[in-house]
Amino acid sequence: MAERALRIPERIEEITEPEELERLYQQLCEEERTVEAELESFVNQKGSIAAKMIALQRMGPNLQLIEGDASQLSGMIKFTCNLAENVSSKVRQLDLAKNRIYQAIQRADDILDLKFCMDGVQTALRNEDYEQAAAHVHRYLSLDQSVIELSRQGGEDSMLDTNLSLLQEAEQHLKVIVAEKLDQAIKEGDLPQVERFFKIFPLLGLHEEGLGRFSQYLCTQLASKAAQNLQLAMGVELSEARAALVFADTLTLLFEGIARVVETHQPIVETYYGPGRLYTLIKHLQVECDRQAEKVVDKFIERRTYHRKFQVVQNNMMRNSSERIEPRELDPILTEVTLMNARAELYLRFLRRRITSDFEVADSAAPEGITQEHQKSLEKLLNDCLLSRNMQELIGYYITMEEYFMKETVNKAVAMDTYEKGQLTSSMVDDCFYIVKKCIGRALSSSSIDCLCAMINHATSVLESDFREVLFNKLRQGFPATTLQDIQRGVSSAVSLMQSSLQQGKFDTKGIESSEEAKTSFLVTLNNVEVCSENIMTLKRTLENDCAKLFSQGSGKGDQARAKIDSCLSDLVAVSSKFKDLLQEGLTELNTTAIKPQVKPWITSLLSISHNIEEEEFNEYEANDPWVQQFIVSLEQLTTEFKAGLSSVIYDNLTSLITSLIATELEKTVFKSIFSRLGGLQFDKELRSLIAYLTTITTWTIRDKFARLTQMATILNLERVTEILDYWGPNSGPLTWRLTPAEVRQVLALRIDFRSEDIKRLRL
Amino acid sequence: MSMEDYDYLFKIVLIGNAGVGKTCLVRRFTQGLFPPGQGATIGVDFMIKTVEIKGEKVKLQIWDTAGQERFRSITQSYYRSANALILTYDITCEESFRCLPEWLREIEQYASNKVVTVLVGNKIDLAEKREVSRQKAEEFAETQSMHYLETSAKESDNVEKLFLDLACELISEAKQNMLLNNVASPLPGEGKTISYLNCCSFN
Repeated sequence: MAERALRIPERIEEITEPEELERLYQQLCEEERTVEAELESFVNQKGSIAAKMIALQRMGPNLQLIEGDASQLSGMIKFTCNLAENVSSKVRQLDLAKNRIYQAIQRADDILDLKFCMDGVQTALRNEDYEQAAAHVHRYLSLDQSVIELSRQGGEDSMLDTNLSLLQEAEQHLKVIVAEKLDQAIKEGDLPQVERFFKIFPLLGLHEEGLGRFSQYLCTQLASKAAQNLQLAMGVELSEARAALVFADTLTLLFEGIARVVETHQPIVETYYGPGRLYTLIKHLQVECDRQAEKVVDKFIERRTYHRKFQVVQNNMMRNSSERIEPRELDPILTEVTLMNARAELYLRFLRRRITSDFEVADSAAPEGITQEHQKSLEKLLNDCLLSRNMQELIGYYITMEEYFMKETVNKAVAMDTYEKGQLTSSMVDDCFYIVKKCIGRALSSSSIDCLCAMINHATSVLESDFREVLFNKLRQGFPATTLQDIQRGVSSAVSLMQSSLQQGKFDTKGIESSEEAKTSFLVTLNNVEVCSENIMTLKRTLENDCAKLFSQGSGKGDQARAKIDSCLSDLVAVSSKFKDLLQEGLTELNTTAIKPQVKPWITSLLSISHNIEEEEFNEYEANDPWVQQFIVSLEQLTTEFKAGLSSVIYDNLTSLITSLIATELEKTVFKSIFSRLGGLQFDKELRSLIAYLTTITTWTIRDKFARLTQMATILNLERVTEILDYWGPNSGPLTWRLTPAEVRQVLALRIDFRSEDIKRLRL
Repeated sequence: MSMEDYDYLFKIVLIGNAGVGKTCLVRRFTQGLFPPGQGATIGVDFMIKTVEIKGEKVKLQIWDTAGQERFRSITQSYYRSANALILTYDITCEESFRCLPEWLREIEQYASNKVVTVLVGNKIDLAEKREVSRQKAEEFAETQSMHYLETSAKESDNVEKLFLDLACELISEAKQNMLLNNVASPLPGEGKTISYLNCCSFN
């Protein structure tokens, strides 16, 4: 405000205008009023401020009092805190003391136990109570080793020391005794004693050794049984029912024996050795299983001359040997091998299931690493065991021999192909698929996914190359192109032949027959091709079902195996469409060489029937049909042969080809004719009859194929040129013109009564 | 497996002696893994990887076969349908190289004549143990008119290249075949294509 007071006089000198002066004055008055108001409010506050001051002065003594109290409180808290710390440290000391007391008690207990064990072991050993002795040793072993050390260091009791060494001695002694006793029991084949000592081993901490010795016992049992079985097998007469499967049966007995051993002894092992030990037991047993299985396999190879047969087959496949082997001879061995493998797979699956679930119990709380380690050792045991390798080898040979069996038998079926009149297909198609199905089925029965896939692959190649080739070559010989003239010639020559041969007392119709045969052969082959493509699909479906069954039994490695089979099957399915393609090729061939040469002249004969006609001729045509009836009759004759000889699907395909051919040829012919008004009407009638007939022989719709012709007939039927406009462009309604404007003009020009200027003038 | 999710499907079969690293090559390519202590393959294994090459989806069906003799008859059954074979040997194992002619005989006997074969020398990470020189292998591949590539499944060297180059070659081959097929019609007998056949559908 002072500033403003200073400023105003300064400026007052400069103020010259009265308005300015007036304004300043107003401003000053305004400021004065506000200042006055402010002062007023300050004066008003004075009372309350004074009251507050008084209150504050009164509080002075109180504050001093509070300060005193606070410092006193803080002193007390400090004191309490110290006290508490004191107490708690004492408590800690107490706690420590208590723990030590506990440990002391524990140790005293242990030492007492130890003493008890020392005494007990001696007595038990004296009484030959090995279970009791082992229980004492077990107690001793489960004591904390440091306790024993400590009690030794105590030094106060040298008795303890001697006792301890006595105990250790007793432990060693017991171990030797138990091992000896077990060995003796094993030697004597005394099962109760074997089991008795077997149970003692885990108490002495000798799990592995116990299992080892016990499985040794089991192995000798298995070995003697297996030797007996093999002996029996070798004595089996060839005439006996299962003689052909005797090695598979022997192997089965071996596996069943082991499975029974596992079943019987798993509870003891689990109870006395704890879970997770089955793997060790089976690992030991598997060694014996491998040994015994190899003996059976070796005998099988020897007795069935398996390797020799394989050699012959392989040389044959390489085409560098003339020595042949009858596929029939292989049949029983192939069946036996697959059965052997199936049994081995079943057995290994059993082991996997048992060991896995045993590990699961043991590893329920184990870290991931241990579980994986166990899983890995299980895989290694099952995959790398000699049994697996032996079986893989057998299957390896099997696949080659089965492939040979399949190829040779299919070849034989082709060579022995017969056709019975009235049948659509010949014997080789059914035979061939029977064989392929049998071979794949046998591979499937081996339970080996890889074996199955390999045989599916081989079947694919046999069907795609070998068998398809046979049918392809048959089709390539073609359908003999016999026109009507040929047949007539054939008949007349046959008649003359017959006359001459009748005179000689002989009768030879070979000329006609071979042509007839070739025809039938072609048609039968077409049917065969179609059935093949159908059969492949059926085969695939059957296999899929069978595989689903196999998987539901828990065989193989699930997804991976399924993917492999799916892939192999999809290759097989691809062959089906190759057969379909072959069918189409064959049909096209038939159409080109046999049908077209006959149908074409029938159609072109329309040219000799004038369609430039008047009322009189039209009526005559009405009475005596000049062309279409004869054409239909000829077609009927032509197709009858095919209808009888072809399956309905192929016949449908063929008639479809024929109708297309007719449509194209007829169109060409129409463009070469000329028409009067009535001639157009005549053609329309003819076309309608033809379409009506063709509709009866096809199941396909032929309207579409004849759309252009129908439209041409419509144009040929017009009254005037300009009438076309009623149907064209915006007036076409639902009708879609298949003819181009140029073609429409071309058709109109076929009418001799239409003037070309009129046609030219049309705006289409 | 719908038809739409790829433009091409090729079958690639890996062959070669046991222990040359076929499984590791496949694992490296399909899963990006190099599992140490890989056990011997039993029969055949089967992996799928779809790759994109120049905007086209190529599904590679990779068959990893067992190298051991006793699986040979299983392995052989896959040759015929293979589009490509990867013949693998181990550069640190002279023996695996010496067996190559035997493998080539197998290929000759069982594979389709259109099959593409690549020779692969694996384990170049073990260079200090190399027993087969690069030059020797290249010369051999040359005489058999095969491509040659050295890889390390462990270090992932050239593995991607191996499969992708192969896929590229298979694509260009497939394209060429399609052209050829359109020109030559496989009709028996006269071998004429009849134009009106095109207007009727049979399927």
